[in-house]
Amino acid sequence: MRVLIVEDNDRLAKLMAEGLQRRGFSCDIACNLADADSAMDGAAYDAIVLDLGLPDGDGIDWLGAKRRARHVAPALIVTARGALEDRVAGLDGGADDYVVKPIEIEELAARIRALLRRPGPRAQTVIEIGSLSFDTAARAAHYQGNEIDLSRREADLLELLMRRAGTVVRRGVIEDALYSFNEPVTPNAVEAAMSRLRRKIDEAGAGGKLHTIRGIGYMLRETA
Amino acid sequence: MTHRRSVSRRLARGLGLVGLVGSLLLLAAVVFFYRLSFVDLNANQATVRAIQEMLEHVALPVLVLLAPMAFVGLRVIRQAFMPLEETAVEIEAARGHERGYRIDTSRMPAEALPFTDAVNDLLGRLDEAAARQEAFAADVAHELRTPLAMLSLELDRLDHAEASRLKTDVAAMRRLIDQLMLLAQVDAATAAQLAPEAVPLTDVATDVVSLLAPGVIAAGKTIALEAGAESPIVRGRREAIAAALRNLVENAVRATPAGGTVQVFVGPGGVIRVKDQGPGLSSDRLRDLVQRHSRADHASKDGAGLGLAIVERIMAAHGGALTTDPGGRELTLQFPNNS
Repeated sequence: MRVLIVEDNDRLAKLMAEGLQRRGFSCDIACNLADADSAMDGAAYDAIVLDLGLPDGDGIDWLGAKRRARHVAPALIVTARGALEDRVAGLDGGADDYVVKPIEIEELAARIRALLRRPGPRAQTVIEIGSLSFDTAARAAHYQGNEIDLSRREADLLELLMRRAGTVVRRGVIEDALYSFNEPVTPNAVEAAMSRLRRKIDEAGAGGKLHTIRGIGYMLRETA
Repeated sequence: MTHRRSVSRRLARGLGLVGLVGSLLLLAAVVFFYRLSFVDLNANQATVRAIQEMLEHVALPVLVLLAPMAFVGLRVIRQAFMPLEETAVEIEAARGHERGYRIDTSRMPAEALPFTDAVNDLLGRLDEAAARQEAFAADVAHELRTPLAMLSLELDRLDHAEASRLKTDVAAMRRLIDQLMLLAQVDAATAAQLAPEAVPLTDVATDVVSLLAPGVIAAGKTIALEAGAESPIVRGRREAIAAALRNLVENAVRATPAGGTVQVFVGPGGVIRVKDQGPGLSSDRLRDLVQRHSRADHASKDGAGLGLAIVERIMAAHGGALTTDPGGRELTLQFPNNS
């Protein structure tokens, strides 16, 4: 997976690239927006890590222009700006996610992996979370190579949770994704589907990965 | 002890003096004009007549003049100082909203204006000084982020047992810097007197719990949200309320042992409660934690950092309060009822 790091602090950029490389990403560095433009002309990236305050312009404006022109890879904004309102501006400006310096490399890698799991023009067909994998085309789930037999709805549910692994998926989001408009949703339909899925995953040996956050929703843990 | 000078007392003293001097002058006039007529009468009659004359021409006029003067004078003084008393009440009511506060001079008598203007000018200079101080703190916090990011990345390269311990220290430093930045933002927002918005508390709690849940679960604890179907709505700044709740939940998670649960309750009314499985926080301890940092004292030992001081500051800015129920191991964000 190829990541473009746009960051004007040379040492910080190299350290981020090194950390990400150790976690299996291949990284290119651009220290300003002009470099980033030429890097993107020469190669296709799976994700962009973007600093906001660059010497030749504002990262958010640049990203907005790129987005309007054509599809670009999902972007993760990394910045020292911490103002509460900046966060909103970043996400409105076309960023897919936003993290504030000083960031842990572990968190940065997790966020990039999460971006790559999102559906999009360059989305992967097989989503992997540790030893758990889901083939979005074949609608089949495997744990350590063994297939987990899932109904259509359970497969949809697992895909949703895997795409957003490491974050909480709200009940309302699950209801919207799993049940169509005119389909009546009984109050505990999601709970029932979730408990069936949990049982099947536990039986496959991947127990303890699915978590319930009472009053909010569910989460699939990224790490074992 | 020196006696404080009172305008009313000075007026009473002045009027008393005027009465005395006036009486003596009138007395002299009466004695001068009526002496001839007194001589014709025998001694006994003369005394009675003289006393009558005194009462009629000295005591009565002096009383007739002084009584209404005293009445009107004291009334004028009371009315003149009324705006000052009312302003004192208003200033007291503005407790917690000191930033940008100015005395309303529209009802002030002209004589008091130089004083109130000077006080307002002083308040303005204090605000500026506070703003400079905050901007400096925010700048320092901001500038520290990049070196801290590099430090944490450098530590990541080290394949050494000590590295993870150092990383914990860097993480603590990072938390402190985040809190400093947040504090600066809260103060800036208060100073700017931004218009409050309607904030649904259940939405805020859902956002905060969702955001923190992965970390809570990774630490081997659980978190739950208990909210009624109807979201209570308060007036304020959503991001600030979310930050207050985030700090409270982070505290609760730290206090809760592994395997424990942190519960967040919303409502009924403008209330969010955070219940943990820690030892509970006494009112005195809470006051200490809240006060300590506002007095720029040294950092706390229990890792709470600036958290609770920030929460208290945010609640005060919303006209609410941060309270503790040590028995129930709960901390409560209480918003005003009328908001």
